Amino acid sequence: MTVKIRFFARFRELLGNDIMMDVDAGTMFAPLITTIAKKNPEGYAAIFDENGAFREFVILMKNGKRIEIADSAKTVVEDGDEIAVFPPVAGG
Amino acid sequence: MVLSQREQERYSRQILLFGKEGQERLKKAHIFIAGAGGLGSPVSIYLAVAGVGTITIVDMDTIDQTNLNRQILHSDRDIGRKKTASAQEKLEEINPDITVNAIDVRIDTANAANLVGNADGIVDAMDNYPIRYLLNDIAIKKSIPLFHGGIRGFYGQATTIIPGATPCLRCIIPKPPPAEVFPAVGVTAGLIGMVQATEVLKYFLGMGELLTGRLMIWDGLQARAEEICVERNPGCEACSGLVTKGITMGENK
Repeated sequence: MTVKIRFFARFRELLGNDIMMDVDAGTMFAPLITTIAKKNPEGYAAIFDENGAFREFVILMKNGKRIEIADSAKTVVEDGDEIAVFPPVAGG
Repeated sequence: MVLSQREQERYSRQILLFGKEGQERLKKAHIFIAGAGGLGSPVSIYLAVAGVGTITIVDMDTIDQTNLNRQILHSDRDIGRKKTASAQEKLEEINPDITVNAIDVRIDTANAANLVGNADGIVDAMDNYPIRYLLNDIAIKKSIPLFHGGIRGFYGQATTIIPGATPCLRCIIPKPPPAEVFPAVGVTAGLIGMVQATEVLKYFLGMGELLTGRLMIWDGLQARAEEICVERNPGCEACSGLVTKGITMGENK
């Protein structure tokens, strides 16, 4: 089955635009993002902390619905899912 | 509120768009702009030329050389002056038919509600989340909209928050990104500021559809504007107590 992962803003710069991934049934949200992010150490460090947890400001969405970071390790992805990973910005 | 002959002439091209009645609504409106920097500059300039009758703009900073690549309210000759002094002067020069209150103070929990006073809406032109969250609380308390914007480099985001009808800022961004000296380029501030200012005008005029329930994300490097749907968080520490209501536009007093 295939899912689409969309990174935004700086995450996109580091990890690429829309990424289509073939995944096995039962794949969880957090490990999927970890696998993709590991392709670029800088991208990984932007999204995950030293302990491998999502940085607390990162916004995760699945099909337009928010996934809480706390739930991301136990959220299953399904065929056709669109996943968004987004860093809010602070400047003004 | 009757428009003078001069005002009718000044605004004639936009009166074609929303009529004298719309222009009078703008004249009656009072907007609070938190910050006279990168976002606050384009927002205040364009709301001033559009004829929003009262603009309160608050900032505590002094103009620095490093501000000038994006803070278009201020010029080279203003270096060392207070941003509020420069803002007051420029905005009055741009449009002598509006009232400008530029207040030189740090917005904090003790003064925020008073500073906002009876304004009809708040523009978030801040550069940090602690004060953004405070503005969010005041918008909820006073039941007025918060027009959010944020920038970093070529990236920006914006959304319109109507307390009770839309997610609040804490629903959308519960944890702020870390504080930093953020990279900034004037064009991004200009673009996001224009989204905010357009929302303010639409809200006062009661025209179109607001940027509500959606976070607009601008990627200037790819020239893509996208949006993600956002929802109220039932457990939100700021707005979960609010009764759900619909969006009413043009609610200025």
